[in-house]
Amino acid sequence: MTIRVAVIGNPNVGKSLIFNNLTGGRAHVGNWPGKTVEKKEGKCRHKGVEMQIIDLPGTYSLTANSIDELIARQYIVNEKPDVVIDIVDASNLERNLYLTTQIMELEANMVIALNKCDIADQLNYEIDVKGLSELLRVPVIPTVATTREGMTELKDAVLGAVKGKPTERLVKISYGKQLDRLILRIEKALQKDEELCMKYPTRWLAIKLLEGDKEVLGIINESSSKDEVTDQLLEAVG
Amino acid sequence: MMSKIPLTTLSENEEAIVVEVWGGRGLVRRLSEMGFTHGTKVKMLHSSCPGPVLVGIRGSRIALGRGVAMKIIVNPEADS
Repeated sequence: MTIRVAVIGNPNVGKSLIFNNLTGGRAHVGNWPGKTVEKKEGKCRHKGVEMQIIDLPGTYSLTANSIDELIARQYIVNEKPDVVIDIVDASNLERNLYLTTQIMELEANMVIALNKCDIADQLNYEIDVKGLSELLRVPVIPTVATTREGMTELKDAVLGAVKGKPTERLVKISYGKQLDRLILRIEKALQKDEELCMKYPTRWLAIKLLEGDKEVLGIINESSSKDEVTDQLLEAVG
Repeated sequence: MMSKIPLTTLSENEEAIVVEVWGGRGLVRRLSEMGFTHGTKVKMLHSSCPGPVLVGIRGSRIALGRGVAMKIIVNPEADS
């Protein structure tokens, strides 16, 4: 059995370095963002399980506005990797966790690598790792990619995540009562198209539709639930 | 009184706090993804007119086109 693991994160958080640590590869690592524009692949073995590791481009978000974000997003949505490792810069949590919420909405089976813990220490940041993990219901592994700290724990967590049922630890991010109601109505309309629901998380589709996401609007255009969804959207816009 | 000036008017090594972004939904969103949110500290690292600016924000260095940087409104006095 080979499990597929995607590595994602903001630019310049150490994705390629972690990718190299995991695969023993020699992807070019440089201290500037945007090193990885295409996706790279490598293999590693841990406790007898073969893992195929895919390094995705660094992104701040997962919109359809730029090619790198779209590559990362389409990989997660269409290829459905078994596990997504979200690499988060511990010295810069607030901005990094925005991408984390986007991955949560894609309902990916996620493991967080809290990287650059050494830098966070130097800045005297005290991060409640357990609290973060409980809040997001995602395993959070502190790592220092430069010294390979936490790599074994990270691989263990990936194997653990494959066995667990991600649906049980799904956290819904609320957009406030009014919007949540609207999202729910659009979701109901979307659910008329069963094929669509098999392929995409409906809540994510509904949110992206409200954002006016071009790619998702295109997907709905082909769907059998198009008319109902359009009605709901028109009503929402008022 | 709080002063509000475009980010581009900061001189090199000057720091300020982001107050708002004057732009459309797309730009506001993009900039907030990169960390330009209300109340965040920015530092002008390099600016030569005409041309892009390099700013430090949330531990990263980010280069912005001058036009985009003009739309980021900052308050240099609230620097504390």
